[in-house]
Amino acid sequence: MTGGNMNREDGETRSANEILVEQLMVNVGRISGVIEERGHNIFVQGNILSREEISDYSVEFMELFVMLLQHEGRSDRSSEEFRALQQFFTTMSQQILMRGGDMEEFVRYLQFMQNVMIEDLGRDAEITPEQTRETLLLLAGVFNDIILDVYRVYLEQKESTIEAQQAELREISTPITEIWDGVLTLPIIGTLDSSRTMVVMEKLLGRIEQDRARVVLMDVTGVMAIDSQVSHHLVQMIRAIGLMGARPVLTGIRPEIARALTSLNIDLGDVTTRATLAEGLKEAFHWLGVRMADARTPA
Amino acid sequence: MVRGMHLTRIGADAVLLEPGEGLDPGEPDRYLVALGDYLQAARARRLIYDLDSVPVVDALYYDWLKAVHGLCRVIGVEMVVANMAPSVAYALAARLDEVPPFACARDVERAR
Repeated sequence: MTGGNMNREDGETRSANEILVEQLMVNVGRISGVIEERGHNIFVQGNILSREEISDYSVEFMELFVMLLQHEGRSDRSSEEFRALQQFFTTMSQQILMRGGDMEEFVRYLQFMQNVMIEDLGRDAEITPEQTRETLLLLAGVFNDIILDVYRVYLEQKESTIEAQQAELREISTPITEIWDGVLTLPIIGTLDSSRTMVVMEKLLGRIEQDRARVVLMDVTGVMAIDSQVSHHLVQMIRAIGLMGARPVLTGIRPEIARALTSLNIDLGDVTTRATLAEGLKEAFHWLGVRMADARTPA
Repeated sequence: MVRGMHLTRIGADAVLLEPGEGLDPGEPDRYLVALGDYLQAARARRLIYDLDSVPVVDALYYDWLKAVHGLCRVIGVEMVVANMAPSVAYALAARLDEVPPFACARDVERAR
């Protein structure tokens, strides 16, 4: 009876960290088994992680979690132990994302890990309500931080994917081609915003220098609408081409675009304009002194 | 010779102007008369301004180029700016709100 009271008193002084460490030590096999099994169901069946990877991750998680709980600065989120746990989950989530895994599933898996530990608290009859509350708060704090981190990684990965796709789209939407010796074509499709103008101009001016281009045919057949910003960027490009010593020719200006340009009072300067790209090419040939002959016509 | 720039006669009627490090574009009056004298003495019809060694054309330098162009126009000389780097053209085009009054050529050979 006396011994039981002593244990009870000792138990009442245990901190949340100590309670969790004790539980994990005693039930390590069972807890890691349950976590592993759930991991298999989610990630192995979905061909996201292998059976060995899940086992390794489960063991590593248990080790890192115990190390964190044993750390003296218990609530210190900047401790090396906490960073190691964060890094562990960051790596794991990156791997799952790269292999086409579902982030929601992964977060549910993290919540499952947390629930396994909470359920284990119920098996310890010596924990007071106050200790239970503290332990729950500790678990919630650690796992919430980890889930936030995992979401941060997820968002960063998404953003970098979107940026890469945008860069690729920009690359393929402005193909600069040398269609004749010293003649470049730049078909502009869609809208010219500031960032796209920057990319297009950089590429175009570089090509003028590299190919020693004399004429640049800017075809705006694919421009559906024009506003003051787009026309401003168009004027900028025309000026830059001229400063590089090449002649800009604007082709494919549809009547609606021409009307918009006059309404906006946009002065395109002394740029040559032609209705179609073919007409623009003829103009370029004229400047270059290239004469075209119809091969079907007898000499 | 004109201080701050190197002038070379090329061909029958062209003069190549290569700006040197001593050139102060903020003081056009220090150079323009001497430059005009040189161009007239050389019976130049064309002045090729080589920007090859000019890394930046800011508002001050652009005004200097316009001042040289203004002088050339008055004395019947065509001014052609050559060798503008892509980055210079890009920055200048973004800042300009007018069509530059001078002609431009990709390089000195084409400017002749």
